[in-house]
Amino acid sequence: MADMKSRLNLRDRGAEYWERSPKWRRVALSIFFIALCYAIPFLNNPLINTPGSDFRSVLFYPVGMYVMMAIGLNIVVGKSGLLDLGYVAFFAIGAYTMAILGTKTSLNFWEILPIGVALAMLSGVLLGTPTLRLRGDYLAIVTLGFGEIVRIVAVNTDAIGGARGIAGIPTPPNFFKAKFTILDPKPYYWLLLTFTLLIIWMVRRMAARRPGRAWDAIRQDDDVAQLMGINTRRYKVWAFVLGAAVAGVGGVVYASQILSIVPDQFNLNVSILILACVVFGGIGNLWGVILGAVLLAFTPERIRFLSQPRILVFGMALVLMMNLRPDGILPKKKREHFDPDWHTVEESGEGEIK
Amino acid sequence: MSENVLELQNITMKFGGVTALNEVNLVVKKGEILALIGPNGAGKTTIFNVITGVYKPTSGDVVFQGASIVGKKRFQITKLGIARTFQNIRLFGESSALENVVTGADVHSKTGVVGSIFGTRQSRREEKAALEKALELLEFMGIKKRAGQLGKNLPYGDQRRLEIARALATDPKLLLLDEPAAGFNPAEKVALGETIKKIRDAGYTVLLIEHDMSLIMGISDRVAVLDFGTKIADGTTTEVQNDPRVIEAYLGAPADAS
Repeated sequence: MADMKSRLNLRDRGAEYWERSPKWRRVALSIFFIALCYAIPFLNNPLINTPGSDFRSVLFYPVGMYVMMAIGLNIVVGKSGLLDLGYVAFFAIGAYTMAILGTKTSLNFWEILPIGVALAMLSGVLLGTPTLRLRGDYLAIVTLGFGEIVRIVAVNTDAIGGARGIAGIPTPPNFFKAKFTILDPKPYYWLLLTFTLLIIWMVRRMAARRPGRAWDAIRQDDDVAQLMGINTRRYKVWAFVLGAAVAGVGGVVYASQILSIVPDQFNLNVSILILACVVFGGIGNLWGVILGAVLLAFTPERIRFLSQPRILVFGMALVLMMNLRPDGILPKKKREHFDPDWHTVEESGEGEIK
Repeated sequence: MSENVLELQNITMKFGGVTALNEVNLVVKKGEILALIGPNGAGKTTIFNVITGVYKPTSGDVVFQGASIVGKKRFQITKLGIARTFQNIRLFGESSALENVVTGADVHSKTGVVGSIFGTRQSRREEKAALEKALELLEFMGIKKRAGQLGKNLPYGDQRRLEIARALATDPKLLLLDEPAAGFNPAEKVALGETIKKIRDAGYTVLLIEHDMSLIMGISDRVAVLDFGTKIADGTTTEVQNDPRVIEAYLGAPADAS
């Protein structure tokens, strides 16, 4: 029985295979998977096709978008253990920055991107500094309020379009041969994928180093973390700010593709869904979170042919999954062996300390 | 001759109407093992909490290496050089033993979040140094073979040893041990006593809360006795053992013979 179970444990077997692999094989595998990700829009497999909606659009939104945001939220919720229910606010700030600056000034996408990210990070600092002394449920309520405040302010501010939102957001300028038009979502998908890979790379480095350990400590025991010399306030704000930055990137890219935004796109449901991706995939585990986001974003689109009962079926599938795997699809690995080459492994960017 | 690492000056700690510590004066000298003893509820752990900044004393001053540390944040106090263990073990259970110790060793790293993302030379050097130090400390505490195991899965005794290793990783000038031998069998206690002596001989100063008298009498340079939040005795082991007030605190007042 135990043997059966361990054989079925794909995560540990996968991780073991990876750890046993020599460097060339890891590089080859990584290149293969990255290439595969870039090639997905060209696939036309009936199994993964989405009848009822355009497969390539689905890849950009919701799938790509959810993956990116789930990775960002995982820094906050999964790594540092801060329950943030207003994550959509940072997404909205990124999207509105793109919309306002794109329509009112002559700045292009690449110039607006850093501004949008900076504004999202700034709002992360502004929200985080006073509220992160709260813990648990209290923090969740404050962040939930923040998410709603941002949306309601957008609805009631006529200067930024009020409830009608902003239309006519420019697309990014052509990038070599890639033309960003409303008709072709592929370049947007590739753009988003590139940013996502960059974020994954950064998150993995942080997780394996001092910030990752600090967040692990804070999540497990805030008081002891302080007594071990960790400036917990600073690391919590950093987690918030980095999460906000990721959502900000997402918002800017999203607005440039969708061309018009309205405040109601940034409602509480988005925050909840992204959080669901994190929990569903396996809180704290980067790959689990990515898988969770892919499944949660893709499944409703894949079963769109069911029309009316679609969300009901989706909900039932979620309940069933959480009963079968309460820790998520790919929960955090419980590392139980000592790897003497740990630091050399870490140097190569692998061997996340979890 | 020996300088004072820590001085508690007239520390009073009140929780509402309860006085947990009453005008306590205590001096810890460099390089000694000072044992803090007293019946349950005497205020021993409260003293630790006052020293490490968990509580702010109602009145009085805590002077560490010549400067007051009252009002400083907990992490700042740890950085200045005070580390502690906990009466009821508080490890990072979901992290491996090694990670627990590396987390302690991170205190003196200067790399921030940005430096870690980009893997600056400083970041890599500090990561390596912290890791090597952690492995050394695990070896020193005799639990190197546990390095990869999760904190919560370690046997009880090794969890206590790991807590000491984690505290030592912060390079403390003063190490506070809160009942490190609780739950140990006599043989383990002897071994722990030897370890604590080894820690002192390595240049650390140790303030120790303990109930086991044979351990205390075996390793302490001095003993301070607390009772109901008041320090009732302070001196060498023999002085304290013969102090009538200490005997009274532990055994009760002698029956009036007259």
